[in-house]
Amino acid sequence: MPALLLVVFLVELAVHLVNTIGASSINNLLWTLYLMLPTETSKNSRQRQKLQSEYLKVRRDLNATSSQDEFAKWAKLRRQHDKLMEQLEKMSTSGGRSKELVFVHEEGRDARFADQVPTETSHDATKTKFDSTVGVVRWSLTRGLKIVLPLWYSRQPMFWLPKGWFPYYVEWILSFPRAPLGSISIVSWQMACTGVIMLVSDTITAVLGLILGARLQAREKPVKAAAPKEEGKAQAKKDS
Amino acid sequence: MSSTAIVSGDDTLDPSLQSILDQKSLRWIFVGGKGGVGKTTTSCSLAIQLAKVRRSVLLISTDPAHNLSDAFNQKFGKEARLIDGFDNLSAMEIDPNGSIQDLMAGQAGEDVDAMSGGMGGMMQDLAFAIPGIDEAMSFAEVLKQVKSLSYETIIFDTAPTGHTLRFLQFPSVLEKALAKISQLSSQYGPLLNGFLGANGTLPNGQNLNDMMEKLEGLRATISEVNTQFKDENLTTFVCVCIAEFLSLYETERMIQELASYGIDTHSIVVNQLLFPKQGSGCDQCNARRKMQKKYLDQIEELYDEFNVVRMPLLVEEVRGKERLEKFSDMLVHPYVPPE
Repeated sequence: MPALLLVVFLVELAVHLVNTIGASSINNLLWTLYLMLPTETSKNSRQRQKLQSEYLKVRRDLNATSSQDEFAKWAKLRRQHDKLMEQLEKMSTSGGRSKELVFVHEEGRDARFADQVPTETSHDATKTKFDSTVGVVRWSLTRGLKIVLPLWYSRQPMFWLPKGWFPYYVEWILSFPRAPLGSISIVSWQMACTGVIMLVSDTITAVLGLILGARLQAREKPVKAAAPKEEGKAQAKKDS
Repeated sequence: MSSTAIVSGDDTLDPSLQSILDQKSLRWIFVGGKGGVGKTTTSCSLAIQLAKVRRSVLLISTDPAHNLSDAFNQKFGKEARLIDGFDNLSAMEIDPNGSIQDLMAGQAGEDVDAMSGGMGGMMQDLAFAIPGIDEAMSFAEVLKQVKSLSYETIIFDTAPTGHTLRFLQFPSVLEKALAKISQLSSQYGPLLNGFLGANGTLPNGQNLNDMMEKLEGLRATISEVNTQFKDENLTTFVCVCIAEFLSLYETERMIQELASYGIDTHSIVVNQLLFPKQGSGCDQCNARRKMQKKYLDQIEELYDEFNVVRMPLLVEEVRGKERLEKFSDMLVHPYVPPE
């Protein structure tokens, strides 16, 4: 069962990686990648960014214009400002909320829907939905598999131990809970994988820590060396 | 009254309210602006001019500080009354703070206090929680009256800016609120009636079904008014301002809000303009004239799609029929300051 062995190992590795890197940073990375794809969402987001920069520009102009001296210019800028703000608000929050429900219901027709009302699809709502979808997929691929696999393959031996090498109680524990006696059960294999991954990861962290620490020290040393000299100078100044 | 130069009328649009007089389809005309800019004078003048070309005109003041009586030196009340010296121009004054008591009519006075914590208190709270319901009530009342009286044109002399906008905003707000209430009442009405007994009397002596019926009627009136107000063939808004920063600021805000409600506006009356004599020794007048000129230029630049009417500041108060008529003439024939 080499494939299963590998799969269990990979799942454990994935769980560990997610735990170390953090779920939110993975989500953000995926979101950035998603926005790079030529989809409706990315187009909207780019449009939003453009609007935002335009809004900021108008705002700056508005602040630079005196409402008392150049009322006409100021009022025109103000109109533009209000219009842009309304558009932005519509894009980011309230405008999309009512549509969001429809959006979720019509998942199958996503693309068409987006075509119909590109401005109304709220950026934030899309992001939230993306996050939750990614979360579900990630969970089922890591934690879910971690739970389902041992249940599914609980009776299957991963590989057999050489006969007579281990005493009965060791064999019993290794085959726990339901694998045939004298074999390694999937749960034991999982634990072994976790142990190895933890060990390796700890080792890597420790080595990296050592290397970085050494570098930091190397950088700090000249400063420390310089410090006493300055102190000495200050002392000298004081003396004089 | 004296003058020097007038801002040359090289606008594409006529600097007078002739377009409103010519637009025979207009049924509702609102006159609004910041306090003290001459709304009442302008609305009276416009009414006088309209009376010359329409079959019948009604002038309504919704300003809590009623000025119509002062302007015409005649007492007006809640009923439409002909103005002395006219046979097709009437006026009335309504109180926008006119209360909701009509709705709550029949309320038993003596045990209101005893019941205030109960059902009666709740209904009252509910009714008062709707923004602008008191104005809406009196407004709907007036509109009902006006509809039965069949005036050709109705001019509203509105309260200062903030008030006006609330007044115009309420149809949309109230329609939503009332739709909710009607829905609630149809859902929970049977339940409430179960509590309240067979004839559905509220603790304060009011009938629930009756009240819901009234609210429903109000909603119907309001939605009709709402559609009429948003029709530019039926309704227009005349902005009155003076050539000063704050007034201009308020006017711009008002025009934007009106646009957001979908109410048409294409006329601005700039009131109280000074035209001091050439070589006038009055320092204040000259300084003020300079400032007004600045803002007039700004208005011209900003509102190039509007009829901007320039009205001079007179030396006497514009009160009484004759003076109003003289003043109103300048709404149609642009004032040319004598050299």
